[in-house]
Amino acid sequence: MKLKREKRGQTGGGEKLASGFALAALALLAGFISLPILSLVIRTVSEQSWRAMASPVALDALLLSARTTAVTMGIIFVVGTPAAFVLARAEFLGKRLINTLVDIPAVLPPSAAGIALLLAFGRMGLLGEHLRVLGIQLSFTTAAVVMAELFVAMHFYVRQAEVGFARINRDVEEAAMVDGASRAKVFSKITIPLAFPALVAGAVTAWARALGEFGGTIIFAGSFRGVTQTMPLAIYGTLETDFDAAVALSVLVLGFSFAIIVAARFFARKAQERAG
Amino acid sequence: MGKGPPSFRVRVLTLLLTGLMVGGLTRCAGGQGVQQAENSTLTVLAASSLTDAFGELEGAFEAQNPGINVQTSLAGSSELLAQIRQGAPADVFASADEANMDNAAEEGLVMEPETFVRNRPVVIVPPDNPARIEELRDLAGADAQIVLAQDGVPIAQYTKDVLANANSEYGGDFEQRVLDNVVSREANVRASANRVALGEADATFVYHSDVTGYIRDQVQIIEIPENLNLLAAYPIAIVEGSQNSELAQDWIDLVLSDEGQAVLEKHGFIPVS
Repeated sequence: MKLKREKRGQTGGGEKLASGFALAALALLAGFISLPILSLVIRTVSEQSWRAMASPVALDALLLSARTTAVTMGIIFVVGTPAAFVLARAEFLGKRLINTLVDIPAVLPPSAAGIALLLAFGRMGLLGEHLRVLGIQLSFTTAAVVMAELFVAMHFYVRQAEVGFARINRDVEEAAMVDGASRAKVFSKITIPLAFPALVAGAVTAWARALGEFGGTIIFAGSFRGVTQTMPLAIYGTLETDFDAAVALSVLVLGFSFAIIVAARFFARKAQERAG
Repeated sequence: MGKGPPSFRVRVLTLLLTGLMVGGLTRCAGGQGVQQAENSTLTVLAASSLTDAFGELEGAFEAQNPGINVQTSLAGSSELLAQIRQGAPADVFASADEANMDNAAEEGLVMEPETFVRNRPVVIVPPDNPARIEELRDLAGADAQIVLAQDGVPIAQYTKDVLANANSEYGGDFEQRVLDNVVSREANVRASANRVALGEADATFVYHSDVTGYIRDQVQIIEIPENLNLLAAYPIAIVEGSQNSELAQDWIDLVLSDEGQAVLEKHGFIPVS
């Protein structure tokens, strides 16, 4: 990171005070976040609960979380990218309504989302009742976990992608079209690469939200090892019987999230270097 | 970020502020311990299955002891034990299982526990009973979707014991066949009951006393054969160091009295006397 500040000859006392205040605020923020994380790691080391990380419960949960969030992200890319493009570029009847709908899951507490999903897709649900006749049951399945994750995470990708698409200078796209490029080619070779940093940022936020999904999953999907018990549910379940194991699971998911975020940042930077 | 003085300053500030925060938090925690329990308040820690019954007894006790305020704190028995261990101010502890009370007694946290009521596990199914479960044996049927409470919750242990007992009657793999039908492990017994009341699951194990309120109209009870079932014993005791041990004894006497036992029976429990 580079500080973009113009050099001035003298800085006044007021400005010094302001920058001191800003630094203190930043330090407070950093301390507030790092202290609980540090406590997690210290507890794991001092109680030597590393072994709990290799327990079948932990590995099943981590694997399930990785699988479900991967599927969720796949669906989000395929559905969310064109949806965001339309929202960024097109004007149509009912756009405001759609915009509000897209925002609802972001402000709705996930537990409320879980009850809503249950009432819609549960065995006795509005749609679930009819699916049941066809022999399809969603509650207590891994598909229900993906649905809960999709419901809460989709918003974060769509919104950031929309901003990314809206920012693109349309002259570039039009120039390519004049040069004879097809609409699909312009989209894949110009629009997507230009919006790429926004897409990655949106994807990371959405993925984090999907990984942390708890309320919707436990209410709609239930909790069963290897099928619906994701990392957050495993942590909650272990808390009742073995606190140190719950701590170890928390550290495990912390490391996993950290690795994913670092990897996403790395690829985004590479892609930007290639594009620029 | 550069390696100049600003980042050093940030680091010093972080340390300072972290120190301040930790200091502040410790002082807050210390403050709570100093707080004195008021003599006119009787604090009863009770297992959450006692919610309705103890709520009713609370009114009776306050009517009999003017000026006394009963505070019932309800949670899972293991959570209540953890609170007592951490020195939460309490006068009476009523647990839903003997294991947690035994631990409390061994650690010297309570005085002379005694059983004040019993509760019997039952199976509940939705009114339309989609999996056609008529008796315990049917839980091993191929299409039954069963939910259970998660490990650590007392009802989960009782369920395991019942299923193990049933092995001798219904064949050696009965327990395994039932466990193969389990689709979800719920956080507590009320959550399991809700799954069945909503029709999401075909059956679960609860205490007879849980089939109250709105759940009563939404489920059917399937009794477990007496020779396979076991009764859950609820022990009660005065908490060591109680500031109101006389009042605490009065509460226990009320619970054990004919009046108290009648209230418990009304809420689905089995009286001891």
